[in-house]
Amino acid sequence: MEYKNVLTTCVYCGCGCGLYLEVVDDHITGVWPAKTHAVSQGKLCIKGWNAADFVYHPDRLKTPLIRKDGELVEATWDEALSLIAERLGTIKAESGPNSIALLSSAKCTNEENYLLQKLARAVIGTNNVDHCARL
Amino acid sequence: MGVEFEPRIVAFMCNWCTYAGADNAGIARMESPANVLPIRVMCSGRVSPEMVLRAFRAGADGVLVMGCHIGDCHYSSGNHRTIKRVPLLRNLLGYAGINPDRLRLAWVSAAEAPRFVKVTKEFTETVRELGPLSQEVAHQEVRE
Amino acid sequence: MIEELVLSLVEGIRKVVAERLEELDGVVALRRSSEGVAPHVFRKGDDLSELEIAPRYPLMTVVSKLHKTFPDIRLGIVARGCDERAFIEMAKRDQIDPDRLFIIGFACTEEEAQECHCSAPAPQNLLVGTAPPPGPPNPVVEKYDEMTIDERRAFWQRQFVKCLKCYGCRNICPECFCEACAMEDAAWVEPGLLAPPFPVFHLIRAMHMASRCVACRQCELVCPAHIPLTVLYDLMRRDMETLLGYVPGTDMDAPPPLSVTLEEAPLRVAVEA
Repeated sequence: MEYKNVLTTCVYCGCGCGLYLEVVDDHITGVWPAKTHAVSQGKLCIKGWNAADFVYHPDRLKTPLIRKDGELVEATWDEALSLIAERLGTIKAESGPNSIALLSSAKCTNEENYLLQKLARAVIGTNNVDHCARL
Repeated sequence: MGVEFEPRIVAFMCNWCTYAGADNAGIARMESPANVLPIRVMCSGRVSPEMVLRAFRAGADGVLVMGCHIGDCHYSSGNHRTIKRVPLLRNLLGYAGINPDRLRLAWVSAAEAPRFVKVTKEFTETVRELGPLSQEVAHQEVRE
Repeated sequence: MIEELVLSLVEGIRKVVAERLEELDGVVALRRSSEGVAPHVFRKGDDLSELEIAPRYPLMTVVSKLHKTFPDIRLGIVARGCDERAFIEMAKRDQIDPDRLFIIGFACTEEEAQECHCSAPAPQNLLVGTAPPPGPPNPVVEKYDEMTIDERRAFWQRQFVKCLKCYGCRNICPECFCEACAMEDAAWVEPGLLAPPFPVFHLIRAMHMASRCVACRQCELVCPAHIPLTVLYDLMRRDMETLLGYVPGTDMDAPPPLSVTLEEAPLRVAVEA
């Protein structure tokens, strides 16, 4: 029987509250607020308290899905990324870079958001970058 | 001028005693206030605090919890829980700043039709004096 | 001075834990790591220099979870007075098996007792430290009867309007273990509304806390809106004592009075019906 609490950051907003995921034998069993965390000071909002709910949710995607003949079918990351690169390349060539927009999220880290805007501006060549918090 | 305030009262009544008593009052053509909305439960012990609170939230100005006298409960001791629970909830209402007299516990048996009339009339007047509950809790914001 | 006192308390606790780990499967206590301080289960051979006693978490919840998941596990727990009170109320309701729990009780400091307004800042199973004097009661609770009904209403409306319905108070409470919680039932608490004009959310909780609240203060500590919940729950505790002579967490043999008959737990006050 292994019991541990793993410190992590809530993914649900830019606040970044500290919380512990309680893990018993490699299974997440609950959430504790991190009382020594400078930002959250041992408190959480309803999203933070339920931050671990998506991990085992039956609707959670575990593999990329590609639409084939109108149906979403499980695929590998290589397949998915190759398809994305090919299609974005085609759209950019046919309709220009500004026909593509990229939307990011508060759930992403700053580093991921930086990469996304670099992908948009340097690789695709568009300034059409936005973020879910602006919607 | 405004319309005179008619208190809205929700009365939880146990099936075996009070509801039967209320029924008998009706059969005997005794008049009891139309302000009272009866809700039949199998036992007064079934009435949880959340039911009472929801009744207030839904617009009741007063809530009655009625059942069998101690010793006469159809389920032996269901009303033992009621007699402990209701005073506690009355006190809590008082602590929260809501007049505890808006909640009343009364035992009314099937044979006590006149008592049913007396209690409902008395309580309606008590709540009329207290005024609408909405006035008491009016100034709290609701953020939807 | 306080630091020295606390250090000697912690050292004393670590010593007892080391001894007990010889026969127990684990001891529930707080552990300090580079990530902070969190509940932990120390096993035999673990580095006990990492064992801490603050900041407080409701550790009995961990015991309850593990007792239910592992029917044979035998645990110890480093417990304050409030932890032990939580244990007594949980054991009465079959959430913890008292035969599989060894309580390593320690006393709070006088400052802690004051902060928590604690009337019993040391457990009955006291193994480390000496009980300090009880903390003075919360002045708001003491003077509560002097407040008029209008003042009380204004006080709570100002407080409840801040509530974000995070359910932190319910989540952190050691006594809240119901799988189907009335506060989540759309029949009673309307989803999507914050601070309804009639405080159903908070009053349901306060009623459910009667006969359960052991005054551990975790609810108030976890509330992001700093609502003084313990004022309301202390008043319910006072009523439990006056009406039913019951103080949660003190007597393992006293049945939860609201669940049993008048013969088993009589009213101490006449109630008119």
